[in-house]
Amino acid sequence: MQAGATAVTASPRLPANTFTIAGALLFIVVAAVFTGQKDFELGAFWLIGIAFGVIVQRSRLCFAGAFRDLIMSGDGRLMRAIILGLAVTTLGFAMLMARFVPDPSFNVLPPGAHIQPVGIATIVGGVMFGIGMVLAGGCVSGTLWRMGEGYLNSWVAMGGILIGLWGASRTWDWWYDNDISKREATWLPTDLGLTVSILLTLGLLAVAYVAILWWELRSPRLPEPKAKPAPPAFTVRDHLRNSWNVVFGGRGWSYTAGALALGVLSIVAYNLQSPLGVTGGLALWADNAAKVANVGGLPLKGADLLAGCTSAAGGADWLTIRTTTMTGIVMGAFTASVLSGEFKVRFSRNAARYPQVLVGGAAMGYASVLAIGCTIGAFFSSIPSLALAGWIYAAGLAVGAFIGVQVIRRLP
Amino acid sequence: MEEEFHHMQIDVRGEMCPYPAMKAREALKKLPSGERLELITDHAPALSTVPWEGAKLGFLSEIASKAPGEWVITLEKANAPIDQKQALTAIATRAAELAPDET
Repeated sequence: MQAGATAVTASPRLPANTFTIAGALLFIVVAAVFTGQKDFELGAFWLIGIAFGVIVQRSRLCFAGAFRDLIMSGDGRLMRAIILGLAVTTLGFAMLMARFVPDPSFNVLPPGAHIQPVGIATIVGGVMFGIGMVLAGGCVSGTLWRMGEGYLNSWVAMGGILIGLWGASRTWDWWYDNDISKREATWLPTDLGLTVSILLTLGLLAVAYVAILWWELRSPRLPEPKAKPAPPAFTVRDHLRNSWNVVFGGRGWSYTAGALALGVLSIVAYNLQSPLGVTGGLALWADNAAKVANVGGLPLKGADLLAGCTSAAGGADWLTIRTTTMTGIVMGAFTASVLSGEFKVRFSRNAARYPQVLVGGAAMGYASVLAIGCTIGAFFSSIPSLALAGWIYAAGLAVGAFIGVQVIRRLP
Repeated sequence: MEEEFHHMQIDVRGEMCPYPAMKAREALKKLPSGERLELITDHAPALSTVPWEGAKLGFLSEIASKAPGEWVITLEKANAPIDQKQALTAIATRAAELAPDET
């Protein structure tokens, strides 16, 4: 045996299931028409959710892995890709926010931007979310797209997330009265101006990128998975087939391609109404379910006043842009994994893993209410909103992921 | 049952990163010398992470597909020290080749 290129047996390929693919595509279109007729933005955010799911499934863009691998094995590929995505998103958001608020010094915040209050809840939420995502094997969006790929562990983790969200809404008043309502939603341009804030954000991202690169290259590293070379194309059909394979074939996209695509998607979403966010929709559904089961389900005090990924639904019960986004992620990931032959129902043989991911999920659910968002809403959409909260939350996530790694090393 | 004495098997199906590589590392560390480790996985990223974990501990690897989307990775102690950069390139190339066929 050799370290590498020997004994490659026939590549496996799930039989392309025409019926499943046709059904999935039909469902996506029908749901888009149905929600779009109720409200254009509901339908648009359903399709944004689908695109979200396709992007993260094809590129395996795992936010939990970005923090965990950096700490656990010094592997910074995911985190560096996410930093590039953050830089692109920052430029896009900056253009939109400059249009909404030409003069930030009047202390006006751009509508829709994810600018959360910065307080104890941000730090506690970040650390708790960081621990939870490492235990659960994925953050909230990661759990959603792996649910679509067929990982049973992720369905169990989602159960935990919903429990955590419900628990957080029970204790929300205490957090709101004692911390959140007293804190300021700090938007960097209010004090620094737009230009300096943009340059500062891009500068910090560049420093983080180079620091991570230096850190990981102290020892040899696995390169990003390489794509197979495309067969020569002579006809229109050949070209279309090759293009299709770039999207749905082989090993999928690079992390960088995924992070950049997600950044562009977030800019599109913000241009329509609001940057990408995931947990607000889940919180609304957890709350609705609690109402149906008669175990609570109060509207959260002050949630309408907060900017970010909240459950505030403006009177809607089940369908909001957040809930169509989050269901779209599962559906998009499912469709992409079937189209690329990667869908498979997978369940862990290690029984200890189920309670572990349930607890991790619950921690994430609880934390995402405190911090008003997950790795997407309070990090990937917050730093580009030029909000201080995104940076504080990211630091909390790193600390939490470090603790989480120590925990999983001791688990069976 | 003679086989039983010559290899150890772990089944990490259903597990996602980082567990396949973590469990492989734990098993390789307590693997009696001269034995092979067989690891069953259905997590495609493990096709590069597990062999790399092995290479770091001086193990060579071979991958066979067991069923659609399921693989057996066999790890065996190398006789000579492994060149890490060469091993990395080979592992990444092989993992890319094992991806599902293009349509």
